[in-house]
Parts: sequence; structure tokens; C-alpha cells
Amino acid sequence: MATVSLRHIVKIYPNSNDGKKHKPTNLKVTEEGVLAVQDFNLEIADQEFIVLVGPSGCGKSTTLRMVAGLEEISKGELYIDDKLVNDVAPKDRDIAMVFQNYALYPHMTVRQNMEFPLKLRKVPKAEIDQAVDQAAEILGITQYLDRKPKALSGGQRQRVAIGRAIVRAPKVLLMDEPLSNLDAKLRNQMRAEIIKLRQRIKSTFIYVTHDQTEAMTLGDRIVIMKDGVIQQIGTPQEVYDDPVNMFVAGFIGVPQMNFYDGKLLRSADGKYSVQVEDAVIELSAEKQKNLAANNVAAQDVTVGVRPDHITLKEVPGKMIKGKVDVSELMGSAVHLHINACGKDGVIIVPTLDLKGNKTYSMGSDIEFTFDGGVAHVFAKDTQNNLEFNAQ
Amino acid sequence: MSKQSKSKNALSAVLAVICVIYVLPVVVVVLNSFKQNTYVKTHTFALPTGEMWAGFSNFIKGMTFGNYPFARSVEYSVLITVASTALILLFTSMAAWYIARVDSPICRAVYYLCVFSMVVPFQMVMFTLSKTADVLKLNTPWTIPVIYLGFGAGLAIFMFVGFVKSIPLEIEEAAAIDGAGPVKTYFQVVLPMMKPTLISVGILEIMWVWNDYLLPYLVLDRTKYMTIPIHIQFLKGSYGTVDLGATMALILLSIIPVIVFYLLCQKHIIKGVAAGAVKG
Repeated sequence: MATVSLRHIVKIYPNSNDGKKHKPTNLKVTEEGVLAVQDFNLEIADQEFIVLVGPSGCGKSTTLRMVAGLEEISKGELYIDDKLVNDVAPKDRDIAMVFQNYALYPHMTVRQNMEFPLKLRKVPKAEIDQAVDQAAEILGITQYLDRKPKALSGGQRQRVAIGRAIVRAPKVLLMDEPLSNLDAKLRNQMRAEIIKLRQRIKSTFIYVTHDQTEAMTLGDRIVIMKDGVIQQIGTPQEVYDDPVNMFVAGFIGVPQMNFYDGKLLRSADGKYSVQVEDAVIELSAEKQKNLAANNVAAQDVTVGVRPDHITLKEVPGKMIKGKVDVSELMGSAVHLHINACGKDGVIIVPTLDLKGNKTYSMGSDIEFTFDGGVAHVFAKDTQNNLEFNAQ
Repeated sequence: MSKQSKSKNALSAVLAVICVIYVLPVVVVVLNSFKQNTYVKTHTFALPTGEMWAGFSNFIKGMTFGNYPFARSVEYSVLITVASTALILLFTSMAAWYIARVDSPICRAVYYLCVFSMVVPFQMVMFTLSKTADVLKLNTPWTIPVIYLGFGAGLAIFMFVGFVKSIPLEIEEAAAIDGAGPVKTYFQVVLPMMKPTLISVGILEIMWVWNDYLLPYLVLDRTKYMTIPIHIQFLKGSYGTVDLGATMALILLSIIPVIVFYLLCQKHIIKGVAAGAVKG
């Protein structure tokens, strides 16, 4: 029901005058203060599900709170449905928010909690009852309507918090790490429920998390942030396949991408290949094209390969040697923690491929390789993906 | 007997002694309020039996003694106590909410000023205070609650600020997003959550104001307005003789409401209302 656009949004926490120093951080510090969010630009389409993801302190929650109106916007403009809302009070922005710690009103029953926003808006009683009953049914909390929050479990409390948010059909639904207080099993269950919920209500979602699994499974688009700066915006597939820099490459994907010191080689006829130790692997046609378009010169680089893209298949002249540290059987696959080229990394080997073959004990030697289509080439200094940014 | 249970028993014994020391004055008051006046001094700790037994005559004597009706003293005591406590609870809880949530030098200064006011003994300010009360016409039962508000604010703000800081800010933020302005947030969300502290502060203030002797004695015009403690003080006959039996009877009457109130409310003091609001 609503578009949201954030244009050049900046959040500055002013330096305090009492001589107290800010905690040491990676954030940029200017004369005005600490830059918690720098030049944030994002256009969110109607009913889109946007996930802001990043490590703690990256400014994702601050950004969400600025959209909610709980934090002042230092610079820049925020539009909801083409209306400038920088100076509009939270209650007049037609948004709802779900907090990490639920933030239910402890003295009210579940029904009163869910009625509260509607009562404040002076909605007629009959409509309130209908809306609450409907939301309770969607979330499966009908039988708890007369209980107080303290008589509910964590998962139930979070459902109530979501119920309170959706009951008035807000234009934009903001969620600030709503699942991080739940245990792993409940988290998976609630994640599925949020996906279902999303299909039933027609709100625009902005969801903050530090969990890349939640980001990948929930988001139409993901915004990856670090130190107050957007690193990449894209669909889950895009950020997984084409990370713009080493940070995104390492942050998205479990287990983390492996990084090896290597060389980018350019032959006389302009063909690019990467060299890791003695293995020389020619890059795929698409990567050739991207690198050529940027006119990337031969140089020392960091080569990134995802654990599931590494194979143990023998390809003469392309094998990299390593030693197995730990072997973990995960069921469908075995995760081999290896040390190669002086770096620790992980290889995922499907259990089927190992059938009848040897097992890998600690300290055993291993040789592996990867295909030219799955290698990511990052500049040593800027850590940018050279395919997309030669600088 | 194990070492642990031995020390437990020793602790119980010590606490029992302390208990007796605390309860003893109350017991003495109860015993002597039913005793003939002449025996109060001679048989202070004896049970009021036989010829010592006075029945309720001490109570009747105390209530009808002198020209000033005891009922009116009760009325003024109730008025002052209720009005003062209500004022203190409403204003200091609001002030504490602001002080706890707004981080500014002024708020910090006000907070420390309030806390510091607890350190200053009443005797230091009482004469200037009674003069000021006269000038500002605060010397009636209807206006003296303003003075109580001033004296009670220190402890109340100290306790409320501590409690508000323990309430997660997200609950108020949720209220702001749900559509509540500051006034609605305060009355519909913050105030109900403060219930345990409201009750404990309320009990402390009620006991203090109800029993207070010096402030009303100095400020109020005693020919027109008396509270119960002042009324008891005036149970003197000619030549300064004091009817101790009647005095004890009135003291007993005056402490009954506070004890009943305390017993009724004590479970609320301990109960934490914020449980279940956030992950815990």
C-alpha cells in the first residue's frame, strides 16, 4: 500500500560536550559527530519486503528507527507514499513496528494489547473486535486473548507483538530483529509464518536482522550494511552470486566464502585466469567479459570461492593442496575444515560423493579445485570485486 | 545438627529478638490504652486485668476531652494525608519519568537536587519554612499538602527514577507508534506499569504524613486546625497533668488505619508488574 524512499539519509550522533569520548568504533567520525548512517539511498516499492542486514553496529537498526520516527534524521529526506515525513510524528506515519524484545504492555491482556492502537484511533468497537479476532486467527493466538503477556511463551509473545502491528493494516510494517530472542526451532517456524503473513497482508515490509539466513529467505531485496554505509542492494540471488566486495562475499552464505591469496593473470590474447599456488584456472566467459569491460590489469588479488563450489575431482594442473583440520558430518554433506595456502577454509562435500571412498582424518592431505565460473576476484587494497568495480 | 542449620537457628533467634523490640512499644500502647490512668505509670507492662481494666472509657475520654472535637482532627488528618500523598504520587512520578527519559544537564541537576533534599534535616529549615508558609498562605489543611509535596519529592523521585530506568524504553516507543502522545503514554502505559512503586511510595508517604507532628504543629493555626498527633499532644488538663490512659487510647486509634492499610497493600509492594513485558 505504500512506497518508501530514503534519499541521502544521514544520522549523526553529535559529539558530547562533557568531554566524554565515544566508544572506539569503526564508524566515521567528523567534526559534527559520529556518522552512524552515511548517505543512505533506497527506493522501496509498494508491498516489497526489504531486509536490512549487517553486523551489530552497522546502522541497520538506526535506519529502521529513522523510518519509524523514533530517531531524528540528521540529513536527507524520507518519503512514505511520496509524502515527506521527516518531521511527522511516529503515530502519524501510518507505520507499525515489531521490537526484538516484544515491548508488549504488561498490564494489559493480549486482546487489550492488540486493541490499543485501534482504540487510540477511535475506531468503532465492532470494527476493533473484528480486526483483533481476524489478526488473532491469522497468528493462531485466539485462545490466549484473555491472558496477560507474562503467561505466554516467547514465541507466543512475539506473535502478539506482530498481531498488535498488523491489526490496523499499516502502510509500512517495520520489524527490528523480531526473531533473535527465540530459540532456533521456533525461529525457523516463525520465519515461515512471516513469509505466510506477508502474503496475507498488503503492507510494505522493512525487516532488520543480523542473520543472513533470515535475510536470504525473507527478503525480496537485501540491503547489506557495514559501518553505516550500504555495501550492496540486490535480490538474495544477486548478492549471493555477485557480491560487490569481500565484506558482502564473506557475510552472505553459510559457511563463509573461502579467500585465498592469488594472482589475476592476463594472457596476450586478453584472457583472464586466476592463479592460486600452482593451480591456474581460466575464468568463465561471463567473468572474462566483465573484467575486460573494466579493463582490469593483471595484479595480486584475493580469490574467493564458496565452500559448496569447491570440488575434489582430479583436474591435472589445477589442484590446490591443503590439510584437513576437522571433518564434520552434517547428514547430507560433510564439512571439511581445511588449511590451504596458509588460510583456514571450509569445503562442503556431498555425502554421496564420498560413498565407498576414504574418510578424511585430521591432518590428512587433500587436493581440491574449483571451476572458473565460481571464482570471485577481489582487489587486494580496496577489497572490491574487480568484475564490478575496478577501483 | 549441621553447621548450616545451626547458623540458621542463631539468625532466627536474633531476628526474633529484634522483632520483639520492634513490637514492644505497640504492645505497651495497646495494654495501657485499656488501663485506668493511675496504673499506667505504676504498672506499665502489666496486663489490664481486675481493677486496672478501664474498658473503652479511655477512648471516650480521649475523644471528648477539651473544646476541639476529635472528629475534626481526624477529618483534617485524612484530608492532609490523602491530598499530600496524591499530589506526591502524581507529580513526582511524572517528573521522574521525564528525568529518567530525557538526558539533559537540567534533568540531572533536578534529580540531584531532589536526592540532596533528603539529606537536609527538617529541623534546619523549619523556622524559615513556617515563616514562608505564613507569607504564602500555605498554613491551612487545604494548602499544606504543597509543603508535603516539597518534602516528599526527594525520596519519591529517587524511587520512581530507579524504577522507570528498569522499564524498557521500547514499550514507550511502541506506544508512540501505536498512536499515543506523551499524556496518553503516561497515563495508559507508564503509570499502570509503575503500580508496585506507586504503592510502596504511597505507603511510605501515607505513614509519614499521617504520623507527622512537627510540620503541622509549626505551620497550621492550632486554634482552628488540628491533626491527630497535635490533638494527642493537647490531651493535657490544667496544671499540665496528662491523662496517659486517654493518650494511649488515641495513639492506638491513630495507628490502626496505617497498620490496616499496610497489611492490605504489602503483597503489592513485592509484586513486579513488568514481568512478561520483555524477554526475561
